[in-house]
Amino acid sequence: MITLRSLLRPTRRVHAHCDIPCGIYDPEQARIEAESCLRIIEKHDASDDKLFRARCIHVKEERAELVKHHLDVLWHDYFKPEHLEKYPDLHETFWKTTKQASKVKQSMDAAAARDLLSMIDTVDEMWKSTGGPEKTRVSGRPA
Amino acid sequence: MTIGRGRPWPLVALAGVVAGAWLSRAARGWLDVVEVQGRSMAPTLLPGDRLLVERLTYRRHPPRAGDVVLAFDPRTPERELIKRVHAAGPHLDLRGDAPDASTDSRAFGALPRSAVQWRAAFRYWPPDRIGGLRR
Repeated sequence: MITLRSLLRPTRRVHAHCDIPCGIYDPEQARIEAESCLRIIEKHDASDDKLFRARCIHVKEERAELVKHHLDVLWHDYFKPEHLEKYPDLHETFWKTTKQASKVKQSMDAAAARDLLSMIDTVDEMWKSTGGPEKTRVSGRPA
Repeated sequence: MTIGRGRPWPLVALAGVVAGAWLSRAARGWLDVVEVQGRSMAPTLLPGDRLLVERLTYRRHPPRAGDVVLAFDPRTPERELIKRVHAAGPHLDLRGDAPDASTDSRAFGALPRSAVQWRAAFRYWPPDRIGGLRR
């Protein structure tokens, strides 16, 4: 028996699509902030200046927050369901990487910051192998 | 909305959609029902709107400017887009009704006529916005 409800149920979705804000993505953005965290931790450890060390902690927490922000944007704006098919561990990877960024925010552990860099590099590999550099960067940058 | 005396057209329209939808079970090849996602066709179409689409018209004549049509995204072929024909010639210039929030031919270029087969004919849901898709 065909019901009214089943007759009116859409069979497919069509997209009134918009790429906005800009369609530009690159894990490099997260990596630069994570590199800042690492360098700041090293400078903190090398200094005896109380004020400087306090500033290091403050700035490092800001940078770590930016790492999380840039990773989040990649996660929910760049990566699409078809990428999940290629990388079934995509969600796990992002969850662990952003958790690692939280760890870097909370601690002054240089090893944790290095781990964060290599985890961002894993995200970078996924971005590259899904055509990110061609699709989500503007071409023509001088080498 | 009131479905009251003197304004029976929503009921008539609904009956038409039901008949059409029933036919679509028999002839899915040329009649279908779809749901809209995204906001690039606002205010004409909003997320969750449901439409009757058909593909008999473009067997008779090519798409015309002003038509609301379906086409696969040339950049992401698994995504079926809904846009309005902004200009029709050998190629079709597709645009969203909300130009500031639409990725369309301005980004991916004009599409060949053959890329467009389905025409969006009619919105049957939500009930208070039943009707055609003219601007």
